[in-house]
Amino acid sequence: MWRRSASFILDKRNDTGARPDFVSLSPPQTTASTMADTLQNPNAKVSAYYQTRAAHHGVVTSDWLAQAQAAVGKYSPESDVRSSSSAAADPGSGKPFSVIDEFNNWRKQPDLAEAVAAIRALAAVIRSSEATTMMELEIELKKASDSLKSWDTTSISLTAGCDLFMRYVTRTSALEYEDFNSAKSRLIERAEKFGEISYKARRIIAMLSQDFIFDGCTILVHGFSRVVLEVLKTAAQNKKLFRVLCTEGRPDRTGLRLSNELAKLDVPVKLLIDSAVAYSMDEIDMVFVGADGVVESGGIINMMGTYQIALVAHSMNKPVYVAAESYKFARLYPLDQKDMAPALRPIDFGVPIPSKVEVETSARDYTPPQYLTLLFTDLGVLTPSVVSDELIQLYL
Amino acid sequence: MPDVQSLVIEFVLKLKKRKVEGSQATARQTAVLLRSVISQQRIGYTNQAGALIDAVKAVGEQLVAANPVELAVGNIVRRVLHIIREEDLSLTTAAMAGLNLSAVSDDDDDNDQDDHPVLSAAAVAAAARSTLRPPSLQTLLEDMPDPAAVPHTSSSGGDSEEKSKSADKSSRSRKLKHDVIEAVNELIEDIDTCHEQIAEQAVEHIHHNEVILTLGSSRTVLEFLYAAKEKKRSFRVFVAEGAPRYQGHLLAKELVARGLQTTLITDSAVFAMISRVNMVIVGAHAVMANGGVIAPVGLNMVALAAQRHAVPFVVLAGSHKLCPLYPHNPEVLLNELRSPSELLDFGEFSDCMDFGSGSGSPLIHVVNPTFDYVPPKLVSLFITDTGGHNPSYMYRLIADYYSADDLVLQRKAAASN
Repeated sequence: MWRRSASFILDKRNDTGARPDFVSLSPPQTTASTMADTLQNPNAKVSAYYQTRAAHHGVVTSDWLAQAQAAVGKYSPESDVRSSSSAAADPGSGKPFSVIDEFNNWRKQPDLAEAVAAIRALAAVIRSSEATTMMELEIELKKASDSLKSWDTTSISLTAGCDLFMRYVTRTSALEYEDFNSAKSRLIERAEKFGEISYKARRIIAMLSQDFIFDGCTILVHGFSRVVLEVLKTAAQNKKLFRVLCTEGRPDRTGLRLSNELAKLDVPVKLLIDSAVAYSMDEIDMVFVGADGVVESGGIINMMGTYQIALVAHSMNKPVYVAAESYKFARLYPLDQKDMAPALRPIDFGVPIPSKVEVETSARDYTPPQYLTLLFTDLGVLTPSVVSDELIQLYL
Repeated sequence: MPDVQSLVIEFVLKLKKRKVEGSQATARQTAVLLRSVISQQRIGYTNQAGALIDAVKAVGEQLVAANPVELAVGNIVRRVLHIIREEDLSLTTAAMAGLNLSAVSDDDDDNDQDDHPVLSAAAVAAAARSTLRPPSLQTLLEDMPDPAAVPHTSSSGGDSEEKSKSADKSSRSRKLKHDVIEAVNELIEDIDTCHEQIAEQAVEHIHHNEVILTLGSSRTVLEFLYAAKEKKRSFRVFVAEGAPRYQGHLLAKELVARGLQTTLITDSAVFAMISRVNMVIVGAHAVMANGGVIAPVGLNMVALAAQRHAVPFVVLAGSHKLCPLYPHNPEVLLNELRSPSELLDFGEFSDCMDFGSGSGSPLIHVVNPTFDYVPPKLVSLFITDTGGHNPSYMYRLIADYYSADDLVLQRKAAASN
């Protein structure tokens, strides 16, 4: 998505003045995804993916318990709306089934990865489908996955999860030997198992990374990542002695949540503000980050701030390790930071910002592969260049 | 089999006492030993491959524990395990194809046929093959190969076939062992001839009037340079002496004996000389999965000098040196400290090395590491017996030579030691 093709001033004028032009160019796209039309994301300005992350991993007040209650209180009206809408969408109640509601329902569970939620939602599509041939089912699934993808274009694992499942449906040879009903039940069964696969992937990654965490090392982590937490948890269980420096992870302050979890495990942990990374880098032995998505070049897309940490670590010759499940591998090839659909998050600065001041609200950045040392995935320990190989094998 | 056991113990002792040195010699002897283990192993009618794998693994663990730094041992053990798996698979696929035909022919009077659909031979073979492959995105969502499916298909034959099948099976077990030993022989031959295969590529890399720098001594490098000379290339070789073992002296002598224009330099002169050099060609102790190299001490310095002057740094390595592990803290964990006698004369330094004097511990410490770790970004090219490869391509070669199951098992064993 070339949003900054010419100059940003021209871009802005396009946004306001040349809107009709733009629309007249786009009809083929809108007709292609009819379902997306009817279920347009109400607030497309804000990245739903990062909203969910903030809701699950963010810390708002300093007191953990109080903030947990506050979070429950804060989000309950919204979730009530969602659950009621998904209840309404239940196939039994007569209203049309909506894959997006289903997905949002799954996504609300804090322990569930985004891709798992996507695949569960697609499984629900299969279950409620009235198709009688494989072809019909495929078309229906394709529609559903397209509408899911367009509903939240900022979520890479949603897209990757949908693509992975679609590929499984269209290309798996095991399905060819079965009749339609058993193929359908097999698909549902595999989709249900995917949560387990996701959990197992996290375990495998944790096991693989144990060799790399040595006694007495200091690890820098950025933000909250389930996989990184699993890695550190396993290391603590294996009686390794290590220290963790957590960044704060503004604006969601997800780092506070991680430091909280680590303190529960009796791991010595120190909190840094995001700008203290370079200051502390010389006492750090390795950087561990998660990833929202791993792209074809072997680079990662992750929470804002990962890129600068990787740059600092690279210039001080510290290894940067990425822990990411393989279903986060996405068929994207960003060339620079602005090369992706923008994922915006409102930032609370505590004080009112004058309206003339622009605020950078992007929630994620792209870290190019040359700044990463190794990727720990459930496929094994990989160098960044292996990622494209895996993706090519899968999709070509 | 007391015979094999004694052989194993003998080899373990040799490894422990560092009596075998050099990855080629070690690799060859390991392969020969494993061949005799396989040939002596008695195997039953069921799960023959499993028995072989267990036997090889048990021996392999002892060997690896004997000298964990000699990575070639582990590599060969994994290669042999991979060979067994592959041979077993090809036999199973062949047998399955035959069995399936017979199963289909007497399907109508088979009443124990449950609702489980008989998978076609192709599907079973595909499932079995997927166990050999390293895990990939492709197999992420696919079913784990169902272990119950295979016995079911093979047991679906009628009673009348039982006799012919057992005879068939015993011949199959003999065939498996035979095939594996054949393949191990091929592996040994590969190890023996990897010099020649690497040397064959010499003319593509060494050109007229070039200056080549090398450090220490490596048989592969010697053959490589000589092969280029044979093809009427005239070039000069700088040999860094490779302190403290000074194997560079031996290499220089050999090169001169073969008629190559040779200059001997000290290790510390490498940086001064590197600007005149067109290419650095060195041997390696082991190549790790990320493309990093475990090499004789001093090579990291050479690699850095080469990078400073943008001189290509070429590493020659036979495929038995490819190690499927990733290095973590390689400078310490994959290193070995040798005797200080190589560095200094005990007679002269006996005073300061005396434990009796002063505080109780000697004031002088001697550290004599054997290996350097050269990170992948400093290596321009690997030349193996299969051709030239980029460091980032190493993992692919490794995926061809080893099965994923073996890496993990071996690592677990290493961790428990």
